[in-house]
Amino acid sequence: MRIAVVLGFLLLGAYLIAVLEAWLATGRLRLAAPGWAAMALLGRESVVPRQPDRLFFETAPVLLLIAALLAAAVLPLAPGLFITNLATGALFVNAALAYVLVALLMAGWGPDGAYALIGGWRFLGQLIAYSMLIVMPITAVAMRAESLLTTDIVASQAGLWNILYQPLGFVLFFLAAMGVAFLPPFDLPSAEGELAGGVTGEYTGVRLAVFRLGRLVLVITLSAATVVFYLGGWLGPVLPPWAWSAVKILAVSAAMLSIGHYLPRIREAHLLAWCWKLGIPLALLNIFIVGILVLVWP
Amino acid sequence: MIAGAREGTLSGLRRLAAAAMARDLHAIIVPGPEVARARGLDIESAGLQIAATPRHANVLLLVGPVSRELGDAATVLYAQMMRPRAILSLGTDGTPPPLPQADVAADRSQSGLVDGVNRLRSAFSRGAFRTDVSDFDAPVLRIRIEYTCPMHPEVVQDEPGSCPKCGMTLVPRETSDTAEPHHGMGHDAPAEYTCPMHPEIVQDQPGSCPKCGMNLVPRETSDTAEPHHGMGHDAPAEYTCPMHPEIVQDQPGSCPKCGMNLVPREMQDTAEPHHGMGHDAPAEYTCPMHPEIVQDQPGSCPKCGMNLVPRETSDTAEPHHGMEHDAPAEYTCPMHPEIVQDRPGSCPKCGMNLVPREAGPADEHEHAQGHQGTGMDHGDMDFMSMVEVTKDLPRSPDGLPMDWIEVPFGPFFPGLPGGLLLTLTLDGDGIAKTRVQSLVGGSGALPAPGMGAADFVDHLGATDPLAPVGYRLLACRALEAAAGRSPDEEILRGRIAAVERERIASHLGWLALFARQIGFDRLLRRAASLQLQFLHADMKQVMALKPALQALIERLQRTPLLKSRTAGIGRTVPDPALRGPVARAAGVGDDARSRDKTCSALGFTPASREGGDALARLHVRLDEARHSLALIEAAGVIVPPAPVDIGETSGAGEAVVETPRGMARLQLTLDNGRVSDARLDTPSTHHLDLVAPLLERQELGDGLTTVASLDLSPWEVVQ
Amino acid sequence: MAVITLQTFFIALFGIAALWFGVVVFRTSSMMRSALALLFSQTALGAMFLAMQAEFLGVLQIMMMATEMSIMAIFMVMFMMDPGGLGEMEMTHQKRLSIAAGVIGALAVSGVALFAHWGPVTTVAPAAAEQIRGLGTELLGRSMIIFETAGVTILTAMIAATAVAMPALQRKKTA
Repeated sequence: MRIAVVLGFLLLGAYLIAVLEAWLATGRLRLAAPGWAAMALLGRESVVPRQPDRLFFETAPVLLLIAALLAAAVLPLAPGLFITNLATGALFVNAALAYVLVALLMAGWGPDGAYALIGGWRFLGQLIAYSMLIVMPITAVAMRAESLLTTDIVASQAGLWNILYQPLGFVLFFLAAMGVAFLPPFDLPSAEGELAGGVTGEYTGVRLAVFRLGRLVLVITLSAATVVFYLGGWLGPVLPPWAWSAVKILAVSAAMLSIGHYLPRIREAHLLAWCWKLGIPLALLNIFIVGILVLVWP
Repeated sequence: MIAGAREGTLSGLRRLAAAAMARDLHAIIVPGPEVARARGLDIESAGLQIAATPRHANVLLLVGPVSRELGDAATVLYAQMMRPRAILSLGTDGTPPPLPQADVAADRSQSGLVDGVNRLRSAFSRGAFRTDVSDFDAPVLRIRIEYTCPMHPEVVQDEPGSCPKCGMTLVPRETSDTAEPHHGMGHDAPAEYTCPMHPEIVQDQPGSCPKCGMNLVPRETSDTAEPHHGMGHDAPAEYTCPMHPEIVQDQPGSCPKCGMNLVPREMQDTAEPHHGMGHDAPAEYTCPMHPEIVQDQPGSCPKCGMNLVPRETSDTAEPHHGMEHDAPAEYTCPMHPEIVQDRPGSCPKCGMNLVPREAGPADEHEHAQGHQGTGMDHGDMDFMSMVEVTKDLPRSPDGLPMDWIEVPFGPFFPGLPGGLLLTLTLDGDGIAKTRVQSLVGGSGALPAPGMGAADFVDHLGATDPLAPVGYRLLACRALEAAAGRSPDEEILRGRIAAVERERIASHLGWLALFARQIGFDRLLRRAASLQLQFLHADMKQVMALKPALQALIERLQRTPLLKSRTAGIGRTVPDPALRGPVARAAGVGDDARSRDKTCSALGFTPASREGGDALARLHVRLDEARHSLALIEAAGVIVPPAPVDIGETSGAGEAVVETPRGMARLQLTLDNGRVSDARLDTPSTHHLDLVAPLLERQELGDGLTTVASLDLSPWEVVQ
Repeated sequence: MAVITLQTFFIALFGIAALWFGVVVFRTSSMMRSALALLFSQTALGAMFLAMQAEFLGVLQIMMMATEMSIMAIFMVMFMMDPGGLGEMEMTHQKRLSIAAGVIGALAVSGVALFAHWGPVTTVAPAAAEQIRGLGTELLGRSMIIFETAGVTILTAMIAATAVAMPALQRKKTA
């Protein structure tokens, strides 16, 4: 039951952000658009490109979806409303997200096409850099909560949300989350104007539908992680806890989706340089500051 | 009913899917969205979404006229689209031959487009699935399996077998079945032969390498089978019958023998073809006194200051193992080092000829020598690594040598102008070599001598769909110069305003294309909508649009990341070959308008920026859009260029017009009021030559940004 | 009892999966498949940790290996001729030596497993949070701060080494 509620919530969230995505792309708000788009995809042919690495080609979309769902499994939406509450929850989120990389690498290698291949390798560099910025801010969050349990992390923010306690960590985590979900302006692996779709370019029909669903669930999952780690999770006045989670998660997803609309894509060299030269030192600084705060202001 | 329906009866869930497809139309546009917009079509407001790849599109939108070359490329696009798929053709006189008949044809106008999309929707919801689906086939799509040797690309045969040169088992690859080479690339006889291991060995004829004895490979061959595919995608997978393997076709369907559904054929995965092993090694430079000083470029010795002298790369200096030594005692397979025998022969695993190596415990020296030293001389041929194969290749900017692959970008690549085919040889994601060509360029000469003046103006106006007004004006001015007439002042002013209006629209169109290339959605939508509004705006509308344009320009100057995205990319040096905004961005203030009296009287000053990079070009175009607004305002009237009556005069004349892409020049000869000869010189013709040197050693994304920032119009390229 | 059986079943399942993927590493000719097979072999090991209720170790193993093996994949593709396995390249080298090393290694590990004194057997695994604390204390003890500092220093040194190497490369090119 609990699992069904969480999955239902994720799918509903994925649908809503798909509506938002279509709205941003076409300029028209149509609630039914993603539904029709999904139906159309399911009715369309789905072919395998010539000479594929078929195993990788078929596995990649499913693995992407599974990785996103696994990461979501440890994120609580309300007290008691989670699929599982691991003692290593905060670490587990990162472990599951690492398989997004594997999925995209497979999607890049699988179709035997140059655009997809370049997209896959681009994402490798991108995710190695940006997963550092996922895990290091999480470390600072766990330091304050003195626990890796995601429920403890939410509880630790009862007095002051982490976005105020460690704003630097929030900014880094938010940007890194966009990088992991390859949302614009971090959409190098699937860039339209550079790689004609890149890793997603060769997927069609049902497989494309699964790929897109996986991507949407990934965005929801990363938003949920941002909410749990920095925005106080389900905490908030008046509204019931689940409603607070829903409102915050949708707001974060909307922010992640719309920012890229107003910016050009980052150059690959800058993407990596900013992460390694700026992001990681700042993440270390964040850990240091939080360490001092935890000691002097327990 | 649509010709590209998917097989099945239209019932139940399929009816729902068909209704969904009718609401979810994604179009791939031939020649491109920028041409559609320049012709005044607002694709998105008509309810079509623009797809990035044919794989995700279900509508092929032809914006006519479409030439035969583009027709072939569009056929490949059509074959790559998933069924159900349909063709919507606007203003084409029938679809070009290899394509099937358009499912819906309409006028080339916004109302025609809207009407066409509506008819397309009902065609989809009624006919997306059909039971009697016929397969689409065309000569350009026919795929033949041929067999080639992984090491000797010149060995190609129709039957499986082993390589006559090295004995390796040939691997299958696909190739187009048409006899005619597409776009004249890659199928010519190779001109040179070189050794894969010693690139300095180059000769005219096949033979073996004097250094290592390996067979020489032809240098100019391209081992990809599909340089002609529109988007660089493979054509759809093959389908075969599980029961009758001899039934193979490009499209799903059912087996003619047993009626079973055909299944996509699974094939062995292959590596990317290996390219470019035969390139010149850059010579090294060394000091005559201090041999330890070695560098890639000329210069002076840091120890003694002497000029460095060139020498060949290190492989030649080292002693060679193999042939000239004592007879080797063992033979082994280059791919399977565990195969070792004391006689020559072929490998039991892959059939390759065994190569000799010096006796000794193979397992011990394999890694010690494999990664360094003498490359793949016979003595060491037991371990193949990329380090050795690539060590003499030119280095990409990241310093990391990788396997080279040749990838086509275009002629319908999102973010590049339609009709432009860019073939990049990629070293990882760095660009090692570039070939660029226009599939839609003209000859620059007159198609039929003796053309009437009005026809000539229309003909020249149709040269470039991206700047028709500029070319009409060029024709008018040249005719008037030849006939020695001059229209009155108001017409002159009005014509300038018309060209300036087109300049604004063209620069906005470029902004939209550039925005698509760099993934800037908001700019794409704003620029595209403004472009459509400016295209046919009258004086009052232009003035009403002024604040919107200025707001866009100001917002662009404040956009974060835009500067870092464009600064320092594609830097040109001031060069007389540069024209228009590209030249003015490099600090060359040349502008044909400053020599025009009417223009100067209207208070024209050319825009100029320093830097010559993509950022400077962006700024110049934004400045020009502002200047153009001022010129239109000063002119006070917009008069589209129309041919003047030149009577039966004869004579020769020359005219120049600063088109949105730079100065175009036309020389023509009149013979009794008819044009007997005309020569055209256009800016994009010159800019096309810039592409290859500018792109060299750039990262792929930066390279594509460079090409987009040049604002090439493949239509006006004179070939 | 049923719990223990189920646990044993999963440990065996993941163990067999780890071994099978390990074999696949050498049975394929594609570098990419080989690298990812190694990844899934290591992931199966992580799953074994999870089945043995060693949650932290399992999650850590699963997390680290994904990135590490992906990096290995790109290096294998970059530095190998024929990364896609077109020429059906062999994945094994130095056969005699590796067989010998494998056998000796297996014997040594089995020997340690069988003959080492493992201490008293606990019937119930400690809670996951307790394990993390225990593991930390066990590994780092009073030297925690030194190890933490060393970790950061190594990271800084890695980044600095890369940064220092870059200008040298460029100097060489422009000289």
